[in-house]
Amino acid sequence: MSAPARRPVVLLRPVPGTSPIHELWAGTKLIVVFGISVLLTFYPGWVPIGLIAALVLTAAWTARIPRGALPSVPRWLWMLVALGGITAALGGGSPYVHIGSVGFGLGGLLYFLRVTALSLVLLGLGAMTSWTTNVAEVAPAVATLGRPLRILRIPIDEWAASLGLALRAFPMLIDEFRVLYAARRLRPREVALTRRARLKRWRAEVIDMVTAAITVALRRADEMGDAIAARGGTGQISAAPSRPRWPDAIALAVVVAVSAAAIVSEWLLLG
Amino acid sequence: MAALSAATAIVSIVVPFAAGLSLLGTVPMGLLAYRYRIRAVAAAMIAGSVIAFLIAGMGGLLTVVECAYVGVLTGLVKRRRRGTPTLIVVGLCGSLASGAATVGALMMLSRLRNLIFESMIANINGLARGLSHVPYMQPVSAHLKDGFPRVLTYWPLLIGGGSAVGVLIMILIGWWALSHVINRLSNVAGLQKLDTPPDTGMIAPLPVRLHDVTFRYPRSDHDALGPVTLNVEPGEHVAITGVNGSGKTTLMLVLAGQPPTSGTIERPGGVGLGKVGGTAVIMQHPESQVLGTRVADDVVWGLPPGQSTDVHRLLEEVGLDGLAERDTGGLSGGELQRLAVAAALAREPSLLIADEVTSMVDQPGRAALLRLLAGLRERHRMALVHITHYNNEADSAERIVNLTGDGSRDNTEMVEPAAVPTAKPPPDARSAAPVIEVDGVGHEYASGTPWATTALRDVSFDVHEGDGLLIHGGNGSGKSTLAWVMAGLTVPTTGSCLLDGRPVSNQVGAVAMSFQAARLQLMRGRVDREVASAAGFSQHDKSRVVAALTTVGLDPSLATRRIDQLSGGQMRRVVLAGLLARSPRALILDEPLAGVDATSQRGLLRLLDDLRRRAGLTMVVISHDFAGLHELCPRTLHLQDGAVLPAPARAGGAS
Repeated sequence: MSAPARRPVVLLRPVPGTSPIHELWAGTKLIVVFGISVLLTFYPGWVPIGLIAALVLTAAWTARIPRGALPSVPRWLWMLVALGGITAALGGGSPYVHIGSVGFGLGGLLYFLRVTALSLVLLGLGAMTSWTTNVAEVAPAVATLGRPLRILRIPIDEWAASLGLALRAFPMLIDEFRVLYAARRLRPREVALTRRARLKRWRAEVIDMVTAAITVALRRADEMGDAIAARGGTGQISAAPSRPRWPDAIALAVVVAVSAAAIVSEWLLLG
Repeated sequence: MAALSAATAIVSIVVPFAAGLSLLGTVPMGLLAYRYRIRAVAAAMIAGSVIAFLIAGMGGLLTVVECAYVGVLTGLVKRRRRGTPTLIVVGLCGSLASGAATVGALMMLSRLRNLIFESMIANINGLARGLSHVPYMQPVSAHLKDGFPRVLTYWPLLIGGGSAVGVLIMILIGWWALSHVINRLSNVAGLQKLDTPPDTGMIAPLPVRLHDVTFRYPRSDHDALGPVTLNVEPGEHVAITGVNGSGKTTLMLVLAGQPPTSGTIERPGGVGLGKVGGTAVIMQHPESQVLGTRVADDVVWGLPPGQSTDVHRLLEEVGLDGLAERDTGGLSGGELQRLAVAAALAREPSLLIADEVTSMVDQPGRAALLRLLAGLRERHRMALVHITHYNNEADSAERIVNLTGDGSRDNTEMVEPAAVPTAKPPPDARSAAPVIEVDGVGHEYASGTPWATTALRDVSFDVHEGDGLLIHGGNGSGKSTLAWVMAGLTVPTTGSCLLDGRPVSNQVGAVAMSFQAARLQLMRGRVDREVASAAGFSQHDKSRVVAALTTVGLDPSLATRRIDQLSGGQMRRVVLAGLLARSPRALILDEPLAGVDATSQRGLLRLLDDLRRRAGLTMVVISHDFAGLHELCPRTLHLQDGAVLPAPARAGGAS
């Protein structure tokens, strides 16, 4: 009776097991992902997209990410992509290919494919980080990366502490939201006959939902505040501070080399 | 400190909201800007951006930044108590600025801009070409094809203006929602209790002498504690007992450094809450006092930078050796509490206060925790103050102090419940078809992914009309999943769950369910509105509200009470009132006694028992404890690792 299970999006949990990618310092991964995102927004050409896609796939292979880690794509998204693809393909433009006597302009389709590929690569890049990084390592890494900012009197340790706490509270609050949503489903729906009544009901529901979510979060915040006070305020956030080691240097070198190649190719091709 | 934790919690709502409805992500940020300083918003924004970046890349990051921007604008206008006109002026300037920023960014990213524009033109051209084959649409098609590229040459105006209008709409909607939410939250006072003045000078909390100490909360009309006269000497084990409302927790606050309302407290030095050699506190809720994501990180969390700690020795002492690298999310309540003890010991405290630490822990966990607490003083030179409402837990103490505060004001008297206003067949109609049939149910979360976990395997049983069934199991036994399946909220991966012969997942709402966290189930601001909305009748129908409240033994005068002013036991009864008013086919109760004090527990059990016996209500109770549930549930089903245990393995009884 059960339909083929849809694979859900699993957030912020690494794929079980370990690999050279899993063992890289979280800071390295953050730098790489951020750097590449910036690179691709400045140079969204075919060569950079291709090179980075190859890099992501290699990393996924090294980290032994199974195909099952990818969430199922909902049907409406496929339809949307297909619609975009068809209209873009109809758009035509150079380059032209000729099959027999019929000429096709591929320009539109190519542009569309490039935008799609760009989004996919950027998503894949982020997914690689979240598939291979234990969330416990993120906050200490941010604290280390942001250390130079202390000179500017930026409260980087406070930010890192709240990042760590947010990551800790995140799954608990997600659970609570699941319950909130389930409790809603159990309730009878109020019948609204006119459009005006429906709008009014919808507005009331939005306010109820936001208020309930905020109340839950603030309650959690108060308890957490007590717990922080009981620990005497903020201080250390990690028992075994991890540092970049030589594999991180290699990984960074590879990424820098690939990025440099991508930029050079863009300049050569487009001037 | 409050700001930091609020920021943190807010982030966790902004991120999921920003993913779906970025319009609403602005509200929590606005609330943060309204209540706290900009610094808190900055911390929330940074933390949120990093998390969103991890989840959704640059797009997620930008969404969070946008939410924070709009939140700060609306929150600050609210904070300065300005009205809508100010907001419109601020909104116009703010949206123009953000439009300009978008245009500036696109100016710099010329290649990305070209790519996006070319791809948009291609889509429009394709659309035009498609339309040109449709009769009567040729003129539209021609306009589209020629007009769009021409319009795009004015892109700074178009995109800048568009993004400004978008931000303005966000600001207006955010303002509207924020105003409503602030109104609704205005009476919810901050509940943070441990807010002690900073220490100056030497830390030496013991010996402490309390003389005629009383304490009264702000905006309250009676003393929550005292007058109390009490000494705690170094190295002593004192138990503090008393009924709910006698001021046990308030006494903890005073011992932890809260200045009393009257009376005197003498200490040789500062309290040093959480400091090395000072005072450590372990609280009731296991989950929320653990701050690190990994066990080892949690032990050192908050210690001054540079101090080194022998994490492994501490974990060994509390019986968690080998778990240092584990995620704290997977620990049971008892393990979390022992972890909290380890974190306290890392500070080598002179005074350790344990406040109702066992009340949310199951029976085996409770025994282990009590053994640990009792043995602590053999290895450490510290005094232990153990606050508990279980008399047997106090036995190992050298001295027992019984608080006899006047607690009656906090417990609104319960009236005897009236009969349920539904006609039900008598409970002995066993021969009829079962109400709920669970047939070969198995469930796997995240199936097909590397994170797949099996919660239930091949569970089968029937529930008959008027049954009282207890589903008992430890942490991670799959009992909550089973409850969700029986309520129709989760469709199992294998097998089926039928209600009156039809899949229950097609009849969500027919089986009522009371969740462990009652607060999450109460969505309206006031008792009468809540009951009416949950039951599906008009909130003006006073007589039905009163009838529903009487059914669960609540005084009708509570109808106009705000939800946030109710006690835990009252909240649970209000939930039940709403559920029962719909005459459900069956009632599922997930841990109905958790977080409810002993007196209210007895009352609640009596009510449930009455509902089952007199009204023939079919009941399924999910619990990790047997305590007092034998009467209510004659039948017990034991779950372990997602499967039903064949023999009724009786664990130790309740305290």
